[in-house]
Amino acid sequence: MKDIVCVSGIELLMEYMEGALASDVAAAIEAHVAACPRCEAFIASYREMPRIVRDATRIEIPAALEASVLAALRAARRAARRRDE
Amino acid sequence: MIVPAAESGDEAFAARAAAGDDAAFEALVVRYQHRIFRLACRLTSETDAPDVVQETFLQIYRHLSTFRGGAQFSTWVYRIATNASLMLRRARARRPAEPLDEFLPRFDADGKLEATPDALRITSRVEELLDRHELAKKAQAAIDRLPDLYREAFVLRDLEELSTAEVAQVLRVDAATVRQRVHRARLLVRGYLSELAGGRP
Repeated sequence: MKDIVCVSGIELLMEYMEGALASDVAAAIEAHVAACPRCEAFIASYREMPRIVRDATRIEIPAALEASVLAALRAARRAARRRDE
Repeated sequence: MIVPAAESGDEAFAARAAAGDDAAFEALVVRYQHRIFRLACRLTSETDAPDVVQETFLQIYRHLSTFRGGAQFSTWVYRIATNASLMLRRARARRPAEPLDEFLPRFDADGKLEATPDALRITSRVEELLDRHELAKKAQAAIDRLPDLYREAFVLRDLEELSTAEVAQVLRVDAATVRQRVHRARLLVRGYLSELAGGRP
């Protein structure tokens, strides 16, 4: 197997994190990262990013919308039943 | 009394709703509307999300009888909402988003990352370096600029926190394809946030 460098390790990063790689490839990535401060820094920020974006885009449904969703569905139901009758 | 676990689950409610039980249907709406609204905001915008939510539940109501009990109800709901979001984006016919490719990590001729560890690490500090509202706006802008296929996979996997297997079911692709799309989206969004915070992708 070819040696892992930054570009090939990063290419496989998600598969590595999800345990989708053969064990020798995973071991080669670990060996590279252990000796590469750039990859270590890259991976830390790669892992952290989803949580940051998740928190930044967290939003609650407005109460008015909750009410109007149910109202619209009840209206659709009444219309459908009128058609059926 | 011993109640089988599935009895209280979504699939049982869906079966009752399909049989005309209005209360069961409304229970499902209440159970899902928060998630669908949040998903729609991330896939479209806060302005368009209410339309996506209404459309999603109308479609669920109309097609409940076609839902096969064997499938996971949540997967089916996410698929309908994801498609409704995409339809709405297309209807808006916005001008094509500027790609984020310039924010991919850069490597030298030997395949070594170009940026220094400190510059690479800076995405992790974007919350201290940017104002909260600014970050919210930019994070949504980054999601918006992803190609449709990457956006859907990234939002479902990383923001709605579905498993890779669940995202594969929602999008009807295999797990390797989900990982490939999410990975690509992560590289793009990570690099974009890094530059915002003054680092290098």
